[in-house]
Amino acid sequence: MKVFIDPPNSLVLFDLVERFGHEPLSTMAAIQERVDNLEVDMPPMNVTLDDVVKGLKYAGVEVPSGIRGRMALWGPLIEAADAAIVMDDCPYSFGCVGCERSNLMVKYLIKRRGIPTLHVSYPEDDEQATNFVAQTKEFLEGLE
Amino acid sequence: MTIKIAQLSCGTEYSSVQYEIEKAARSVGAKIVYPDVSAADIDEAVKRFGFNPRSPQLKLMIARAAQLADGKYDADAVFITTCFRCAEAALVRNELRRFIQENTRLPVVTYSFTERLKASQLLTRMEALVTIVTRKELLARERQSGITAGLDSGSSTTKAVIMENNKIIGKAWTPSADVVASATEVLEAAMKMAGVEMKQIEAIGTTGYGRFTLGDHFGAKLVQEELTVNSKGAVWLADKQRGEATIIDIGGMDNKAITVRDGVPDNFTMGGICAGASGRFLEMTSKRLKVDVTELGAIADKGNWRNAKMNSYCSVFGIQDLVTTLGEGKSFEDVAAAACHSVAEQVYEQQLQEIDVRHPIIQVGGTSLISGLVTAIGEVLGEKPIVPPDSQYIGAVGGALLSSGFL
Amino acid sequence: MSEERETRLFMISPRSMLTPDQLVRMVHSFGEGVIVKETCYGCLVEAPRSTCLQILAKVREDYRNEVFSKIRAYPCSDPRRCRAQHGTRPGFAQLEEEWALLAKIQVGLDRVDKGAKYVPPAEKKRIPVNDFKKICEVH
Repeated sequence: MKVFIDPPNSLVLFDLVERFGHEPLSTMAAIQERVDNLEVDMPPMNVTLDDVVKGLKYAGVEVPSGIRGRMALWGPLIEAADAAIVMDDCPYSFGCVGCERSNLMVKYLIKRRGIPTLHVSYPEDDEQATNFVAQTKEFLEGLE
Repeated sequence: MTIKIAQLSCGTEYSSVQYEIEKAARSVGAKIVYPDVSAADIDEAVKRFGFNPRSPQLKLMIARAAQLADGKYDADAVFITTCFRCAEAALVRNELRRFIQENTRLPVVTYSFTERLKASQLLTRMEALVTIVTRKELLARERQSGITAGLDSGSSTTKAVIMENNKIIGKAWTPSADVVASATEVLEAAMKMAGVEMKQIEAIGTTGYGRFTLGDHFGAKLVQEELTVNSKGAVWLADKQRGEATIIDIGGMDNKAITVRDGVPDNFTMGGICAGASGRFLEMTSKRLKVDVTELGAIADKGNWRNAKMNSYCSVFGIQDLVTTLGEGKSFEDVAAAACHSVAEQVYEQQLQEIDVRHPIIQVGGTSLISGLVTAIGEVLGEKPIVPPDSQYIGAVGGALLSSGFL
Repeated sequence: MSEERETRLFMISPRSMLTPDQLVRMVHSFGEGVIVKETCYGCLVEAPRSTCLQILAKVREDYRNEVFSKIRAYPCSDPRRCRAQHGTRPGFAQLEEEWALLAKIQVGLDRVDKGAKYVPPAEKKRIPVNDFKKICEVH
């Protein structure tokens, strides 16, 4: 199944989803599509004005362009997802997840999709990490 | 030498504007760089800075600024830019600009972008950053020497000045039409007034929108953007070459607010999104009032803006306000004063928030001749600006002064 | 996802004894003729997607819970994202933080392999006002 991960660029979540037999939907894949598109020359990411305009589907014109551009990347992934894993209290989120407002919107859109969603907490020690892995594994194995 | 402009930003890559920023930098011989930071640097920098934004990218901006402040990362200038309409980013952007200015001598420019940003809109700003870095010695020049000419090809008017031994000996202006034809006309008029011939002119400096075309046409020794050239002209005309000052230049198409230290800009903003804050709006107002724009200031001085409130970002809506106010039977004087006040308020709200106003305030450009606007700026800022003689010729004077550095 | 090109980031848990150099030599020894680039945290592998997944599976045969991976949007050494061109990429700090977390995830995976199950944590509840009052009175 296709599982959207939040933060969408998380190595840990990407790895676990794949490890336990599902397809992670991530920012990396969305950007890869764009950077491999030789017809567009808008480095570094080939996110174009068209993308930002497409973002209007998720947020109005009064919303900053950076949010709309991000939503243009993630919105279609959330729409394509069969399930989602969300790390709620991630202490780090840089790169594509640098805008907190966009991150809030992603969580909201996942909720609105109504797909099976696992909310996990950031593990602070080995015990919490064990619980986090076990919980994630159970959720992913239960997705059929 | 490639000038390194450190970019502190949020949202550029997702707004499809990063390419435009880099294109603008490249076209003026500069390169955009990002100060290196590690995850540990970020927490420490945010704690030290004292503003803890929710958005991690803004934390990253703070950490990058700290690297510059501590001299751990080597850059020549700083460009701070975030999404238009993001409140959190706007707060961080302005406070980081202040932080950089307090902790470094690097020139800074801030900008809030929309997805429609094009490289050409940034060109003048980037060029100014590069000029400040590469032409330090030239910009330190305080006296004009020999016989030189300055040409300022603005969006509304074209100006020419002839200078000899640190004095203006000829000057002329005309409304801008064809760039070369307008410049030729004013240059000839200025030469006539000065009593000099073309062959006597030892150097020409060009600035303004048409600077490149004029530079080629007249074989100018100096072709330079208007931010640094106008600053130089303003402090020369106001005789404030040493120390600090703020220069306000409300132009036909865009406005400049520049802070200078010893005549060299260290921070500037350029507006140009909303015509409600431009000289063009006053032109439209005078047309509607059926008076010449040169008379508008004196009429405004006789009125009271409080009697006819007008305030709009947009010149079209501004004129609607004006029509309504006139319809209500308000006097021409009050309406003219309200139009001037509206422009002053817009400049204050849109631009002066992005710089730290330093004293004295020098108001220049063609609009500084509209006394009602100068009064309005003074009211809004709580301090009457200095309007030097020949204040509309700042660009041309700056061009003549700086080009003499090539003799 | 592209079948043509996949660039995959292999990251070694800080608890592992495996070094990036050993990992790179291991990937080379599979003889797939892929692009491998050693990094401070492990390596980047660039190949068709199916080959990348085969390599990942082979690495996991020996280092099941010590090597983690995700795809990378940009090809190896792409100037658009190369650190030498501009400085660190925006997600660099994220990777640094996640790398540190891998040590704990490695332990978690090992324990789950041995049968550890999810135990819902005890819910944190606010103490009743009366209890709090008593505490205040004692002090």
